[in-house]
Amino acid sequence: MKATIVGAGGLGGPLALALGAAGVELVIIDPDVVETTNLHRQIQFAAADLGAAKATTLAARVSERGGRAKGYKLRWLADDADDISGDCELIVDGSDDPVTKFAVADWAVARGIPYVIAAALRFGGNVLAGAPGTACYRCFFEEPVAAATCAAAGVLGPIVGAIGGLAAALALALAQARRPTADGLGTLYVFDDLRVSSEPRIVRFSRRAECSACAQRPQEKVA
Amino acid sequence: MALIRIPGALRQLTANLAEVEIEAATVRAALAALEQKHPGIGGKVMDGATVKPFIRIYVGPDDIEGLQGLDTPVTARDEISIIPAIAGG
Repeated sequence: MKATIVGAGGLGGPLALALGAAGVELVIIDPDVVETTNLHRQIQFAAADLGAAKATTLAARVSERGGRAKGYKLRWLADDADDISGDCELIVDGSDDPVTKFAVADWAVARGIPYVIAAALRFGGNVLAGAPGTACYRCFFEEPVAAATCAAAGVLGPIVGAIGGLAAALALALAQARRPTADGLGTLYVFDDLRVSSEPRIVRFSRRAECSACAQRPQEKVA
Repeated sequence: MALIRIPGALRQLTANLAEVEIEAATVRAALAALEQKHPGIGGKVMDGATVKPFIRIYVGPDDIEGLQGLDTPVTARDEISIIPAIAGG
């Protein structure tokens, strides 16, 4: 199986190491380089990596553990998605950018492939497991406006490891199932504060009739 | 009193409280009362008279969009959850 991981930072690190070790061939996309302020949570990098491209450095870490990965120092954009990720059967977003998260989810929905959108902030985070044919990321959050980011609000280092690990497990489960949940509902795992509880709230949600992403689903139209 | 669960991204506005108890008959009234107790949080959740598009409000397990929207009744036993999109990674 081949998968794209968008973002090679705090979430992308555990995602890539876990999926790579599980035998998934990876394409890792990230436009950034390693900075000192990343090191407290992006533990796949060391001080010696400062200034290096995150995507290629993380791909090297996956390869050192016996996995298969290629890293590309670029921003994942919908316009280039078919070229970058067209042969992937799964896509996982751990980026720090709301626009990218929507673009990844929309693209996966249109292609009918499973996807996972993960986010972490301060002491918690959320993970959306996107099975083909179910209510999607855009059904739930509608549009990318001013979502809080780590750059603005910060994140406790270990939080990204926990959220990234769950995202990897859900990605593997989705990739195996490759079918909608029986009820067609979307699933969002919400962690309010991992210092207090590791138990997620599991939020189920329905398709939104006017969702522009669902209108692009293959071989089906939303009534 | 109904309980409003505050997401981590907004707790700076509630003195880090994860939950706030509110006496209100509807979700709209509950959010107004929350703003009274913790000024500034209303503007993060609402865009005028409507909920911002990247925020969902649940009463118990149900999205209010599938109920009566902001006019969804709440009782003293209800838990209201504010769920915002976040993008940190």
